[in-house]
Formats: sequence, structure tokens, C-alpha cells
Amino acid sequence: MVRSARQKLFDTISVNGLLVMVCVVSLFPVAYALTTSFKPQFEVLTRPPMFFPQQWTVEGYEEVIFNTDLIRYHLVNTFVNAFGGSVLTVAIAVLASYAFSRYRFRGSKVLQLLILGLIMIPSLTNLVPLYRMASELGLLNTNVWMISVYIAGGLPWSIWVLKAFFDSIPAELEEAAQIDGCSVLMSLWYVVVPLSAPGMVTAFLMEFVFNWNEFLVAVTMLTKNTAKTATVGLWSFQASFETAFHVWMAACILIMLPVIVAFLIVRRSFFQAILQGALKG
Amino acid sequence: MVTQPARSAVRTTTPAVARSRFNRFVPLWMLLPTLLILLALQLYPALYSVYLSFNRIQAGNLIWVGTRNYERLFRDARFIESLGTSVVFVGCYLVLTLSIGMLIAVLLNQRVKLTSLYMVLLFIPWVVSDVVAGTMWRWLFQQDYGIIQQWLNPFTNNVSLYANPTGSMIIVILASVWRALPFTSLVFLGALQTVPREVLESAAMDGASRITSFSRISFPLIRPTFIVVTIFTTIGGLNAVGLILTLTGGGPGGATQTSGVYLYKIGWQFGDFGQGAAISVVLFLINLVATLFYLQFQRERTMG
Repeated sequence: MVRSARQKLFDTISVNGLLVMVCVVSLFPVAYALTTSFKPQFEVLTRPPMFFPQQWTVEGYEEVIFNTDLIRYHLVNTFVNAFGGSVLTVAIAVLASYAFSRYRFRGSKVLQLLILGLIMIPSLTNLVPLYRMASELGLLNTNVWMISVYIAGGLPWSIWVLKAFFDSIPAELEEAAQIDGCSVLMSLWYVVVPLSAPGMVTAFLMEFVFNWNEFLVAVTMLTKNTAKTATVGLWSFQASFETAFHVWMAACILIMLPVIVAFLIVRRSFFQAILQGALKG
Repeated sequence: MVTQPARSAVRTTTPAVARSRFNRFVPLWMLLPTLLILLALQLYPALYSVYLSFNRIQAGNLIWVGTRNYERLFRDARFIESLGTSVVFVGCYLVLTLSIGMLIAVLLNQRVKLTSLYMVLLFIPWVVSDVVAGTMWRWLFQQDYGIIQQWLNPFTNNVSLYANPTGSMIIVILASVWRALPFTSLVFLGALQTVPREVLESAAMDGASRITSFSRISFPLIRPTFIVVTIFTTIGGLNAVGLILTLTGGGPGGATQTSGVYLYKIGWQFGDFGQGAAISVVLFLINLVATLFYLQFQRERTMG
């Protein structure tokens, strides 16, 4: 062999070392936000700054939870919009990508390209028209409107991910089911959906994370405090918590926590799907 | 956009029942919800935006002004400047994201024992929102109490990196790369895993160095993925607004004001919808040209 045992050991150590370094860099901002969120006010304004609090406290969290609308309204709205938007996106995208994957019809390729091409439209482009539409329909400050906009934004991505998945499932399975008397929708539900669960979980997670974090549409459409989502709420904190960085960071941690948990729960399916080339194009 | 011959070969037959007359419209019914939603909430607003770019809004009414918004745009020094800023930002963002992302993917592809743990840890920045990331990064570089600023102080004469045009651009780029790396490296890793191990091993036997076997064997094989990631990273960079807005708001003195940020300010803070729409049409055309450019590149290479 070309590579000796010694060289192998060196490889393992250097690869692990580099990866640990990359992990430290990528986690540092989050870790520092976490330790800051447990500091009391005076420690946040101490020089030189320390990484760990000298005195651990949950003051920051108390402030966010009891004196702001973050938990009461903003996170509730965020959850409703993100969850509603992602579930509906995936449901609608399943139908569309199944049609693209299993049926040959005129214009299918062109239609797929057009739908994917929508990704190129800057999200900023549609803001003004969407705002005018919402105000004419009386839908400003509503979850329904946010969910609708999120579905429209998420469909091209989800269709792309799901079609790749459906393509990888042999059509013979459904044919067998249909010969045994299943309708098209039944075979979709009982055969294709269970087999493509990782694909759907992946599409769902991508949408959920994206919608949870969405800012531009939300900050444009949501002006009422009771309708705001967490990112908009955090944005408007700027005025009220100037130097209370522990409060800021506590809010950041609270906003991140649900998506991190969601990601940790489905990470296996998600990694598997992306690694198998869900986005290979 | 990019077809996948290997996959589409799997789709050989249409299900038997679907061939019957009754079921001929099944695909149409399945596509209907998607088409309706995309028409109403993507295509219509986009076309409306194009229409708006030829209008001025006065007291809530639209007044047709022809191409005047565009003429004004190309005489607007701040817009031209923002295009330059966009080029610098997207250029650095693209190069760093692709190169570091590829490096991480190569490291993960060595399949050391803790790989799955590393992947989870590396992926955390992906779930962080722009506004949260902006808030956290601002705190790192805060003038008096920021922990990274503290380490930098000896080199910057105790002045925050934010106060400096180049410094704030560096922060904006680093924060954006930080957000983009997880997904990029994961997609690259997926592509690298398709490269047959035996080929790489036999190349190593023949004395090829790792760099040679990466550039001669692995990279050509994953080029299609590389191009797609390049396209989406470019589009993402051109349209990035949230993070820059929360980090610097385009400052100091317009140093980090990319065209996207300028568009947001013109259209939203100054309420000049017609002018904003004109910028967004220009941005869309840039996206389109960039995409076609990269696709062309891919076609040439695969032909030759």
C-alpha cells in the first residue's frame, strides 16, 4: 500500500483537528449568545468581556418572557405561519411532483423549468405588489396571508426535492397496487408516500426553517404587534433594549430553540435525503 | 433547468390505469392547486412589478411614465455604487462559500468516526435566521463589549470594525458565509460520495497525489452539482437583504449597501415604488444572465 499506518494516523488526527476547528468557528456565535443570555446586566457591560458568566442568572429570559410579547404573540404567530405554511406546501407539492414524475404530457418539461425559474425572482420584487394585494383584500396582519405567501414561495423548492424522490421510486410498485384495485390517489397515499417519507420530511424541514426565519415579507405585511412574528419582534426590540445584550441574546436563543429541536429530531432523514442528491438538479 | 438522465431513465411507464380515458386529466387536477397559487402569488406580482416599474405612484394612483424610472436609475450614483458593492459582496461570498464548503465536504468525506456528530454541529448556523444571526454577530463586534472586537482592538486602535467601511464589509461577508456553509458543504458531500472509491484508490496506487486526484477525478465528476450550487449561491448573494440590513443597515456611509439593500430602502423606506420596481427588474435580469452564463459554462465543458 502507498499509505503507511503512520500516515493514516496522521490523516485521522489532522482531519479530526480541522473538523473540530470548523465546528468551533461555526458554533462560536451561538455559544457566545447562549452564555451571554445567562449573564446579569452589569456583566454584559464589563470590560474585558468574558466568555462565561461569573454569576449565572436567568434575568434576561425573565425580561423577555414577562416584559415583551415574544412568547405571548410573536412565537405563537411564527409557529402558526411556519407550520401551516410548510405542511400545506408539502401537501400541494406532493401532488404536483407526482404528476411531473409519473405522467408524460405535453408541456411537462417546460412547466417544470418555468416553476423552477420562479426561484430566480428576487423575493423583494414581489413585496410591493403583494402588499397592495393584501391591503385590497383586507389580509394585512393575518396568518392566512402569510401562509399563502409562504406556500407560493416554497412550492418551487419542494416540487424540486420531491420530484427527485419520486423519480427514484420504481413505478412498477404503484402499477401492482393499481392492478390490485387501488385508485391513483390511493396508490399515491399507500405506496409512494410511505416510501418517500425522507423526501417529504426534508421538504418539510427546509420549508419550516425557511418560514420560521422569514423576515422581509413578515416585516412588510405585519405591523400590528399581535400579528408580528419573532424575527419582526426581534427587529423592533432595537428601540427598547439598547445595551441589555443579555436580553437580546435570551430572545435570540428562544427564537432558535424550536427550529434546532425540529432539526435534531429529523436530522437523519434530512441528511440522508440531501446526501442522496435531493438538490442535485 | 438541469435534467437528470440517470433518474429519468427510471420512469419508464405510466401506470396502467392512468391510460384509460377517465384518468387522462388526472395530472392536470394534481397540478391545479400549484398552478393557481403560483399564478396568483408569484407570477402575477412579478408581472405587476414590471408594470409598476413604468409608473409613478402619486396619491395612490399610478401614472404611466414610460422608461423614466430606468433612465433615472442609471443616472443615480448611489445605485451604480450599490451595483459595485454587490459585485464585491457576491464575489467574495461566492468564492469563500464554495471553497470553504468544498474543503469541509472533503474533510467530512474522509469518514472519520465522529462524522455524524460533526455534521450536526456544523449544521446549526443553517437554522439561525438572518435577524438572529445579525443580532448575534453585531454583539460579537460591539464597540465596547464585543468579545471578538476585544481581540481585534490592538490592531484597530480600539475602533470597532463596524466603523470602518472595509471592516463592516468583512463582517457582512463572514456572517453570510457562516450562514451558507452548512448547506453548501452538505450538498458537496453528497456529490463527493458518488465518486467511486475504487477509482480514487487505484489512482493513489498509480502515485497520484490527493490534489491531483481531486482535480482530475473527483471535481470533473461533481461539476454539475458545483454549477448548480454556484448558481444558487450567486442568486442568494445578489438577493441577500435581511442579514445585511440587521448587521449594518447598509452603512457605514453606504459601504455595505448592495443593490438589494438599496432596493429595500428606496421601495420601502422612501416609498418610491416605481423606482424600487425598476431596480427589482434590473436585479432579476442580472440573476437571469448569471444563471445562463453558468449553464453555458456547464454545457461547453460536458460537450468537450
